[in-house]
Amino acid sequence: MYSSAHSREFPACSGCSLCRLVCPMWRSHRDPRFSPEGLAKALQCGATAAELAAPLDACSFCGACDPVCPERIDLTGMIMELRRQLPQSATTVNVPVPPGPAPAGALLLPGAALRADPALLTRVKGLLGIAVAADDGADIAQALETGGAIDTPRQRAFLRGLDGRTLVVGDALLLRQLRRWLPAARLQGLGEALGNVGVIRRRLASADFYVIEARAYHADYERLVGHYDGLRADTGCAMNLDLQRIAIPAVDEAEARWMLQGRRPARIVVENPAEREILRRVADVPVLHLAELAEA
Amino acid sequence: MNIPPVEPGTVGPCPVAPDALQGIKRQQTNPARWNGAGWQDFVAAVRAAGVELAEGSTACGMYATDAGGTAYGQPHGVVVARNAGQVSTLLRAAQAHRVPVTVRGGGLTTEGESVAFGGVLLDMSGMSRVLNIDAQNLTVRTEAGIYWHSLAEELRRENLDYLSAPLNLTSSVGGTLGVGGIDVNSARLGCSADQAVSLQVVTPTGEIVECSDDENAELFQRVILGYGQFGVITEATLRIRPYTPLAMHYYYYSSLATAIEDLQMLDRNDASDYSGILTIMDCAVNLLVAFDSDEREAAFKANWEARLRGFGEAGFALCMLGHYALRPWRIGEALYLLQRKQAVFPEFRRPEFHRDGKMHDRSVVFSRAVWKHWGSRQMVIPDLATPADTFIEAVERGNAVCRKYFPHYTLYCVGIKLRPEHKPHYEMSCVPPGAEGWAYGCEFEPMIEGEVYSRDHFQAFKNAIYDIGVDLGASYYRFGGMMKGYIRRVFGDALVDRHLAMKRKADPAMILNRDVIF
Repeated sequence: MYSSAHSREFPACSGCSLCRLVCPMWRSHRDPRFSPEGLAKALQCGATAAELAAPLDACSFCGACDPVCPERIDLTGMIMELRRQLPQSATTVNVPVPPGPAPAGALLLPGAALRADPALLTRVKGLLGIAVAADDGADIAQALETGGAIDTPRQRAFLRGLDGRTLVVGDALLLRQLRRWLPAARLQGLGEALGNVGVIRRRLASADFYVIEARAYHADYERLVGHYDGLRADTGCAMNLDLQRIAIPAVDEAEARWMLQGRRPARIVVENPAEREILRRVADVPVLHLAELAEA
Repeated sequence: MNIPPVEPGTVGPCPVAPDALQGIKRQQTNPARWNGAGWQDFVAAVRAAGVELAEGSTACGMYATDAGGTAYGQPHGVVVARNAGQVSTLLRAAQAHRVPVTVRGGGLTTEGESVAFGGVLLDMSGMSRVLNIDAQNLTVRTEAGIYWHSLAEELRRENLDYLSAPLNLTSSVGGTLGVGGIDVNSARLGCSADQAVSLQVVTPTGEIVECSDDENAELFQRVILGYGQFGVITEATLRIRPYTPLAMHYYYYSSLATAIEDLQMLDRNDASDYSGILTIMDCAVNLLVAFDSDEREAAFKANWEARLRGFGEAGFALCMLGHYALRPWRIGEALYLLQRKQAVFPEFRRPEFHRDGKMHDRSVVFSRAVWKHWGSRQMVIPDLATPADTFIEAVERGNAVCRKYFPHYTLYCVGIKLRPEHKPHYEMSCVPPGAEGWAYGCEFEPMIEGEVYSRDHFQAFKNAIYDIGVDLGASYYRFGGMMKGYIRRVFGDALVDRHLAMKRKADPAMILNRDVIF
């Protein structure tokens, strides 16, 4: 890190370009404007969010840029903030808040992708042995994704009673935000939680290709790089990690193809249900969610 | 360092401390060297030909400086390279309208060589795809704007690797072939440019030419190590090799001269696959030795390790303990060493990059450590390249200069195996004219550590290092841009004038990478 002043903000960007090496948006466009560096440099030159709308829309929030930035700039946070400034950003959708407190003990906040697959949600719930929160903040997660405003009373209602608890969070963008909002909570992504379940771990094989959910991984990189290195050592399975140990996300078919280029797995195992569908379109081997492994 | 907010629509202040201009707002140190005459006609011409050219501070501002961070300038417009035809169109129009074209790959120059002081900046990173991997013949064809690291990513999917490249993740292939490129295996495999088999080059007048040692050899010789004067490299065919993890060994010395003697002994005897010196202080010198195979490592242990005069980590720690116990007034130095060790060493031992005692992806490990622990908003890295016999003197004299200018600094020394058949490539390059067998390079890198130094201070430091080179008949890796005043002093008028005549013939309007060398 070059200097401590103004770290985590765009003025600290020195233009080293390290973020480009891991950026799916850059890989897709090969244009410096479509990279965190390009955005930070444009901001340094006085650009407004509206002028940067195209790269802001193109960013998938995979977070790969954050752990590689030598200035430790919160690049994902910078892009999320810029997206909030775009004129077309939607406001949060208010959902009815369930009456009464959430059940005691650890809670699963499944998120939209997992909720969309009730059978998979049931499997996950059974494997983790924890209650599912009636209010999983899906509307807040959506607002984080689209740059919509988050209504303060709604945020308070969602967070009430969650701090200090163990939470398994399916939506990684929400997980990232909960780390800031709930400093006393014990937070885990869905992939990490399932990866620690013995029956799943035992069924991962060296011929498997394991797809780490990029957002959750990069948001807690220094800790999770060890977790996944251990998982790789235990199981022998290959992973969607590049040479810097940064996860390649299957944000679209092109990225999924790049992820699989040169790999010849017998089976693909994903943490994120949304990536299962994309990978099924480009791979000619079975693609399973981690929770499906227990019955495979 | 305080980085002030930027006024919308402006470039932002130069972060280098003011020196002779106290109190005067300084936004661009180097004045634009081209007055913009004919720019609009040029823009109209290239756009009519279908070339996308971006203007305005948002597009141009990101190119305001290079990795050196001391030269500041802006182009009038930017073109992101897409294919050789587009580059050709751009260069033909630039010749016709006499518009300077500055080519940028990774932007890792330190003397402003990839900073445009007006004219058009051609960003080669848009041409960064691997075109073909020939695993049988161990070659790769790639677009030249690709970063070496991105190339490594693709090669590794086939369990292959490049031969050698700078230990920096964002060096581009084209930029490196244009200046040399040094790795810790260069003492065995030569500089990075030596791995080029053939190139596709767009000449300054817009011809698209394939060249190699057998085809258009003269162009090939001038473009390789040619500092971008004779063409834009758009594609390259490079030699590659099977990927191997490394067995790393570190030896520690308190004497620079002894460490260099041992480095040269290893190189002469082909005793290791990788070798190099990295200092923490001039009394704490690390000789790095590494191997691609167990056989090579075993041969080293049997035949050469006992001849090294360096210590292992524990032995060296005991030496240092004794050294500072007898010199308690130098406790600050000891604490700096300890703090540096605690910060840097774990970076080289991160478990996710080590398996079964071997280091995987060394360029990632080294590059990340370099950016994290040596990087700065200014990177001032004067260097000296000498024949083997004068290297110790050059390093010791350069080290004395460093000590005079900065409290802490790092030296990085490495050998470069020279290929006799490539002698024409080496003319007027970082390879010193008198070198036979090996040349040796040393980079002198001050640790900026958040301090603010004036540009005059940096320049005086660089000049003091480069004066040693003139005295010893050495060469430099970074002799372009702000250091080009040394070109005639070190190469002599006859050679420089001959190259200038070639340049004028190849580039009649002198548009390509103007002010880098000529």
